[in-house]
Amino acid sequence: MTAVATLPRPRALTFGNLWLSGALLVVMALYPFVFGKAMNFGVSTLIFAGLAMSWNILGGWAGQTSLGHAALLGIGAYTMTLLATPERLPAFLPSPLAPWWGALIGMVLAVALAAVWGGLTFRLRGSYFTLSTIAVALVLRLVAINSEWTGSSEGLFMPELPTLFGLDLFDRKVEYGLAFGFVLLTLVITHLIRRSRLGYGLQAVREDEDGARALGIDPTRMKLIAFMISAALTALGGSIYAIYLQAFEPHTLLELPISVQIALMAIIGGRTSIQGPLIGALLLSIFGEVFRTVFSNANLLIYGVLILVVTIYAPNGLMGLFRRGGLKLGVNR
Amino acid sequence: MDSASVTAFFQTLAQGLLTGGLYALIGTGLSLIFGVMKVINFAHGDFLAIGMFITLALFKAFNIDPYLSLLVVAPAGFALGFLIQRFVLARLGDRLGEGSMLATLGLGLIVSNTLLLTFGAQPQSINVPYATTTFQFAGVQISIPLLVAGLGTLVAIVGLNLLLYRTELGRAIRATAQNPLGAELQGVKTTQIQAIVFGLGVAFAAIAGVLLMPLLYTFPTVGENYTTKAFIVTVLGGLGNLPGAVAGGLVLGVIESLGAFYISNNYRDAYGLIAFLLVLLLRPEGLFGKTVKRV
Repeated sequence: MTAVATLPRPRALTFGNLWLSGALLVVMALYPFVFGKAMNFGVSTLIFAGLAMSWNILGGWAGQTSLGHAALLGIGAYTMTLLATPERLPAFLPSPLAPWWGALIGMVLAVALAAVWGGLTFRLRGSYFTLSTIAVALVLRLVAINSEWTGSSEGLFMPELPTLFGLDLFDRKVEYGLAFGFVLLTLVITHLIRRSRLGYGLQAVREDEDGARALGIDPTRMKLIAFMISAALTALGGSIYAIYLQAFEPHTLLELPISVQIALMAIIGGRTSIQGPLIGALLLSIFGEVFRTVFSNANLLIYGVLILVVTIYAPNGLMGLFRRGGLKLGVNR
Repeated sequence: MDSASVTAFFQTLAQGLLTGGLYALIGTGLSLIFGVMKVINFAHGDFLAIGMFITLALFKAFNIDPYLSLLVVAPAGFALGFLIQRFVLARLGDRLGEGSMLATLGLGLIVSNTLLLTFGAQPQSINVPYATTTFQFAGVQISIPLLVAGLGTLVAIVGLNLLLYRTELGRAIRATAQNPLGAELQGVKTTQIQAIVFGLGVAFAAIAGVLLMPLLYTFPTVGENYTTKAFIVTVLGGLGNLPGAVAGGLVLGVIESLGAFYISNNYRDAYGLIAFLLVLLLRPEGLFGKTVKRV
């Protein structure tokens, strides 16, 4: 198993690596004070940054490209909203649940789905998993469109929500705080995973599955754990996204382009680094916003061009470029 | 069963088989590309959309009959695929397997968004007199454009088989599929062959777009749905298995038609997806693969 020898040697977490994460967090924390008028952009960008990092736990660390994360996003959003809406409550629930309980239940459901889905598909290698993710998300989309309970194709409206520590959840500044917390959480978890047995196991599986098996690592179990963590975080992001949107439909949450967008943010930024997905999401959101004014709804054109350029010239994403260019921001050091 | 329900059954079956023929054509292109290059083409449906929009543009500008536009679309599709392999996929080198997925995703976004910028988001269709004409056979009504599409598929697939099994180029393509290095050593220019194969795959998708145009309306993101259909067809038939792709297409068409008629039309797209997931999990070599020929 020659590839094991070429695995990146485990490196201790250094000042530089934390420094970059810290710097990015400071920038994000200052945003509302500088760009207080562009809060919508700020909130949605942070949510997608958190989603890209959540995706990366499976897609980057475990190397399993999912193009169905919209399904998990949708589970978070739909579960939270349905359980908070009095007229849509399932019969066994006496009263609506506060959104944080709904979000938690959404996370549990997403983990359960990931466990079954991953348990069945991780026996297969490579593209088969990716193809299955598309199908699972599309099936859920069809269910959401055709079921009365989920509001069919018109989707759902957010009901009145109780306040969180006296804060109104529909205040953009509060939502920014939630999204920021979400990013912080995914960032901390990613840092923790990197230094753990799980992190090293995942990287071994990504680089050489047979080699990892020979070392006594159970690849299926590793991938499954990564998928479940990724699913829980993605569902949490979905709940926060639902609060931000206040009204959503299957089209805004469950379509293939949403899954693709999340994956591309992580990949363009760099799936083998911690901050890559974060930087990718920030950059693509800014690009997307700028090009929206030029190309109106064809702004995904820039995603297409960027992904082509990155795949050909920077296989490890933007962070890979930085690393190679000697601009060593402490990544992988 | 009374005779009315028997007729309804055959009506549904015929509809399904003819639609399935089109799916077979789309899936064959994808499967050919996968079989030879191990590339899963995520832009396949978008190339189909290009075929539809060229047909639309020719009809609107010069009143050219949709079927006549095949003469433009097929070579254009081939050239496009050839160039994409030359200037994009060939540059991925030994990262072709993982890189091609991303590269074709990117290409798909570029195609659909360029179509959006050029033609706008509104669904558009072609108004030809024969669009709604039907043909009666033993009490079963068959739409003429669907029948033409079925025949077109047959011609294209027979043509591809003749090319693959009766010509020197076909031998080179099959050699490249089986063992690229070995083929290279025998003097086959495999990069050239791969470009031809990608060109053929794109041409097949674009031809399917032309055949669909008199039947449906088109919009810039129409391809997304057909990319999924192409995946379903190839997985049902076995990735890289050409006769399997044809059978997979027919099976998908029939599953959709029967499901839509006997269960619920709302879930028409779900039947194929569920069949796809089941086959992926239980028989990843496809419904028609004899042994596990994992590629």
